[in-house]
Amino acid sequence: MANHSTSTTKSKFLQHHFVDSDQQFDAAKMGMWIFLVTEVLFFGGLFAAYIVYRTWYPELFTMASEELNTIWGGVNTVVLIGSSLTVAMAIKSAQLNQKKNIAINLGITITLAAIFMVIKYFEWTHKFHLGIFPGKFYAFDGIDHPKANVFFSLYYLMTGLHGIHVLVGMGLMIWLLIRSLKGDFGSEYYSPIEMTGLYWHLVDIIWIFLFPLFYLID
Amino acid sequence: MIILKLNLTMSGHHISSDKTLLSVAGSLFILTILTAVVHFMHLPEPWSIIVAMGIAILKGSLVAMFFMNLYWDKRFNLILMISSLAFFALLVGFTLLDTLFRPEITPGF
Repeated sequence: MANHSTSTTKSKFLQHHFVDSDQQFDAAKMGMWIFLVTEVLFFGGLFAAYIVYRTWYPELFTMASEELNTIWGGVNTVVLIGSSLTVAMAIKSAQLNQKKNIAINLGITITLAAIFMVIKYFEWTHKFHLGIFPGKFYAFDGIDHPKANVFFSLYYLMTGLHGIHVLVGMGLMIWLLIRSLKGDFGSEYYSPIEMTGLYWHLVDIIWIFLFPLFYLID
Repeated sequence: MIILKLNLTMSGHHISSDKTLLSVAGSLFILTILTAVVHFMHLPEPWSIIVAMGIAILKGSLVAMFFMNLYWDKRFNLILMISSLAFFALLVGFTLLDTLFRPEITPGF
């Protein structure tokens, strides 16, 4: 075995096939960004469908958007931005080796994500109550347009896929919280928090676009 | 040489100050309120979507640059991000070349 070991930082989480912790961190980060590229294109297909249908039926989007509550959409935007801030704070706490603050910030992030999902739950169930279901199950006669179900199919698919990502993010954050309470993370090793943070910020960016595209149509 | 020097200043371990993080979050909150206010002003036809998407792109860039650290990070990660948007633009562009120019739209759904 060649002796590559020139680094001064030694972590118990350093894998033997990396030269040092920095190389391991940068490799993980590049891998994460490649994954995020696939995520952008995953959502991209739905955004493309949205654009096609909006250019076909612009008046439908104006009419159907009335059924969505701008205030709750806005509140959810603020909640998600707040959770992005606390994730960034958790990473900063790890970099400064403030181990207690990592757990506190992760805890706040999980709470904010849960608030987002609760608001989403009430928005969806309110629509189900009115008979607004996706596709052929659509049974609402409040919108005078033959393609009204198309708008809500897109709405449920896009906010639904986004909601699944929020749930996955919550699961990851609970795992990080448990590990941070065990003292796994500090200035010498915090890759999992950094990578989950990148994922969480992307989920935030996608919501930043979903909000005006569904809730803010005149 | 110049490239080497640039690489030294760019690190995957940039530590953001509280001031930076809080001012980015503050700007995002203000832009969220602004986009909602503009919505209730009911701007004339093309402008409401242009302003709404403009603000969304600004907000998304703030998150990507300062929360996702692309501003300080290795440039390769920024190239990856931009390439995803380029391929998304290709997807939308070529799709619209079809769907915008059909004599009759109407698929069965």
